[in-house]
Amino acid sequence: MLPFLIAIHAAVAVLVPPLTRVMGARAFLVASLPLAASAVWALSAAPAIVGGRPAAASVPWVPSLGISLDFRVDALSLAMILLVSGIGAVIFCYSAGYFRDDERALGRLASVLVVFAGSMLGVVTADNLFALYVFWELTSVSSFLLVGHDDRKENARRAATQALVTTAGFGLPMLVGFIILGTIGGTYRISELVAAPPLDSPWLPLALILILAGAFAKSAQVPLHYWLPGAMVAPTPVSGYLHAAAMVKGGVYLIARLSPGFAEVEPWRWLVLGFGLATMLIGGWRALRQDDLKLLLAFGTVSQLGFLTLLAGAGTHTAAAALIAMLLAHGLFKATLFLTVGIIDHQTGIRSISGLSGLGRRMPVLAAAAGLAAASMAGLPPLLGFVGKEAALEAFVPGHAPGVPAAASVAVLIGLVAASVLTFAYSARFLWGAFADKPTVSERRFPLPSAAFTAAPVLLSGAGLVLGAAPFLADPLAAAYAAGYPHEKPYHLALWHGLTPALGLSVLVVALGVLMFVGRSAVARFQKAVPRSPEADLGYHLFVHSSYAAALSVTRRLQTGSLPVYLGIILATLLALPGVRLLVALVRGDLALPTGDESFRLWDNPLELVVAVTLVVTAVATVREHRRFPALIIISALGFGTAGLFVLHGAPDLALTLVLVETLTTIILVFVLRRLPATFHTRPNGWGKRMTVLMCTAAGTFIAVTLWLATAARTAPPVSGGYAEHAEGAGGGNLVNVILADFRALDTFGEIVVLATAAVAVASLVLLNRRDRVVNEPEEDEPAEDEQGRDEPGPDGQGAGEPLPAGGVGQPAGGAQTEGRR
Amino acid sequence: MGVRGTGPPEGWEAPKERWLSTVVRPAFGPRSLLLEVAARLLIPAILMLSVFLLVSGHDRPGGGFAGGLVASMAYVLRYIAGGRHELAAGLPMRPNGLLALGLLLACATAGLPLLFGKPVLDTAKLELVLPVFGEVKLLSALVFEVGVFLVVVGLVLSVVAALGARMEAEEAEARQEQEIDQARRERRRLRAEKEGHE
Repeated sequence: MLPFLIAIHAAVAVLVPPLTRVMGARAFLVASLPLAASAVWALSAAPAIVGGRPAAASVPWVPSLGISLDFRVDALSLAMILLVSGIGAVIFCYSAGYFRDDERALGRLASVLVVFAGSMLGVVTADNLFALYVFWELTSVSSFLLVGHDDRKENARRAATQALVTTAGFGLPMLVGFIILGTIGGTYRISELVAAPPLDSPWLPLALILILAGAFAKSAQVPLHYWLPGAMVAPTPVSGYLHAAAMVKGGVYLIARLSPGFAEVEPWRWLVLGFGLATMLIGGWRALRQDDLKLLLAFGTVSQLGFLTLLAGAGTHTAAAALIAMLLAHGLFKATLFLTVGIIDHQTGIRSISGLSGLGRRMPVLAAAAGLAAASMAGLPPLLGFVGKEAALEAFVPGHAPGVPAAASVAVLIGLVAASVLTFAYSARFLWGAFADKPTVSERRFPLPSAAFTAAPVLLSGAGLVLGAAPFLADPLAAAYAAGYPHEKPYHLALWHGLTPALGLSVLVVALGVLMFVGRSAVARFQKAVPRSPEADLGYHLFVHSSYAAALSVTRRLQTGSLPVYLGIILATLLALPGVRLLVALVRGDLALPTGDESFRLWDNPLELVVAVTLVVTAVATVREHRRFPALIIISALGFGTAGLFVLHGAPDLALTLVLVETLTTIILVFVLRRLPATFHTRPNGWGKRMTVLMCTAAGTFIAVTLWLATAARTAPPVSGGYAEHAEGAGGGNLVNVILADFRALDTFGEIVVLATAAVAVASLVLLNRRDRVVNEPEEDEPAEDEQGRDEPGPDGQGAGEPLPAGGVGQPAGGAQTEGRR
Repeated sequence: MGVRGTGPPEGWEAPKERWLSTVVRPAFGPRSLLLEVAARLLIPAILMLSVFLLVSGHDRPGGGFAGGLVASMAYVLRYIAGGRHELAAGLPMRPNGLLALGLLLACATAGLPLLFGKPVLDTAKLELVLPVFGEVKLLSALVFEVGVFLVVVGLVLSVVAALGARMEAEEAEARQEQEIDQARRERRRLRAEKEGHE
């Protein structure tokens, strides 16, 4: 069923763009169908899955590499499907009201959103590391397209690139980690790896660190969190979907997926707890400072993602139960809040705290929905956020968490409380900023949103309330996932656990949070007074710019543009490394000189002597000639002489080809010579020329000696031994040709690809040169006449329909004469 | 005018068609009648030779590469004799098209055997007895050779187009601009003189 659901996503993604042309933004309703279908399927399969019978499917992909599209849905995947597809479907319906029908590139947006939903579904259900990686990167790429939706704005393009470079860039080490893990574990199936982790391998910690790096980048953990606030340039429904409900949860999901097997491996827990806590605190602190409601939510999301990462990686029974509750709670309340901001932005045109006032009175339903969601985020009963936060606090009460040292759990607990206080404060600030009456801000006039438009946030927020008031609905899911961890007494999600330390901490959080909100002006003053830490964004820019600079400086050093220098470097390397080695070997007598039949002999045929003398004479003459054209002619003669040697040795094919190539290159060089000075620039007998001659002579001698020694030094029988017999079978009498077109045809194929590439490259290089010239031309004062007179060749230089220049203007005399005769 | 023996030939003596197909503006130097005649006579023969080399390559010296080089010689000769318009008029398709077609043929010969469960680039053989030609041996390697042939012709033609024809065009353009400049200066001078008179 699962591969089929993903296939439906792909099909709908293809169908949606034409639909938007007919239906406008209402095409999003069609686009939501595959998501709704997935959610319904997940709900219908839920009883069996929670009962411990995961749904599984498998499609072979590359069997020889052990890569297949394995799918497996257990309690964790089920929770994620509900987030990805359930909340996704609601957000898609909301998008139908959010986007205008004439929104630019609406079809692309809808299509990419469906692709994203499909790949995310793949990420959370894949049971093969490679399949997971492919879907993972698909989400990165589609997120790039979605963040850069408004591709005419530079900041959108930059934010999209930043998100892609960060998430996909850290995806590569993650792939390496996957490969190491699969190799040491002997399988690429995630369920098998988690069930039987290769704990005794020394490579395991490295693999886990690499995988965590990828997960941290995806889930925007400090110091890689910068891309998430940047990605807020995306349309608000996209932000609500990708950056609250779905994509950023990918990293958390991966950590939670691997945690049952690997949480006890050494650096795992420290990394997860450390980065998670830091992210929680920094995100919360910066959320308090934002004026833009959407950015406030973005930093709030960063903070919550730290919280989720910490719960996912802690690897204890209670933390696992808390994770499921918080995953659902965060998906519901953050999506609600994003959609609320979307409505505010859509109706009023602004989303800045300092510009909004009195919205609560105008839109009481929306304000109530947002209020419930914010209360859930702050952790107030009877909402799902409270249930989750209780469980999370309970998980780190010292002594309750097996495997976590007491000191560490106290530190985590303090961090959790501090971050929760910040969360309470920014939740309150969000509500106040969006809906309160502010005496210093004038009210704006705006149209009220339609009921259907408001329905989405109300629905999501209501779901949070229902799940919070009736925690037994979500509890089986949490219990089923948490059962994978060792535990004495199963933890159950509930509103009331009795008078526990966790409840006391919750009360403390609320009290401190209220204090912080009441004293918000003092908090703001304090935040202004604290020197700002350098932004992580800066690190990204430094990295990108230093890569550019490094690439440029390397290119500048290697590509000086001087052909003699290139050749000189190549020849010098040839002489310095293999040349010296050969010399040393000859001097020390390591190399036996060929003897007997293969030893040195003057000629096989006296005619060779004649050709050789010609070659020597032409070679010397070429070097002595300092005019270009004669030098070209003499060097061609040298080439023809070499062809003569081939003929004498009985290789007519080689000779024929060489003669043809020599002829053509000579002609083409003559074309080029028109543009070059008549003589070479080097002084006829200067030191530069002497050095060149010396170096070339040395290189030539080296090649000749090497060839002579190498042919004699054969130890294995030549591979061409049976060629002559096989050629008959292949149906050819010309062995050279049969080798080229049959035995070694793949080589020939590679060569013609190189030839074609070279042809295109030569043509484009010349074209590039020409474009450059045209661009730099100053503006003419009489453009009409200028255009008429110019003889502009087509892009390939000789389009058959190229018009002849208009008669008269600047035609050579010969041409005019011929025209006359016609 | 009208004096016999000084003007171009008239009546039945007048040539019915040109030696080459376009208005000749040779790539180098002045027109050469000898070159034009030689080009016209030789080009078909050269092209025939190239096809012969291509087909006979499997048993005798030759093959797609040599054949392609010979065929491109024919076009280079045409270019030298008649200039870039002549080259353009004689081409069956653009050099890029030739490259693409050649690669496509080579890819097809490489890939088709896979469909029949054979290794890549496997050779199939077909022997026929045709009425005039007698026994004929057709190899799928010949199709591959045709691909090589086309790529080589495409390569040489793009190089000739880029280094020869385009440079020539640029030179012509530069000449033209110079003349336009001159004409403009002339006109300004006249206008200035006229205004001076008034």
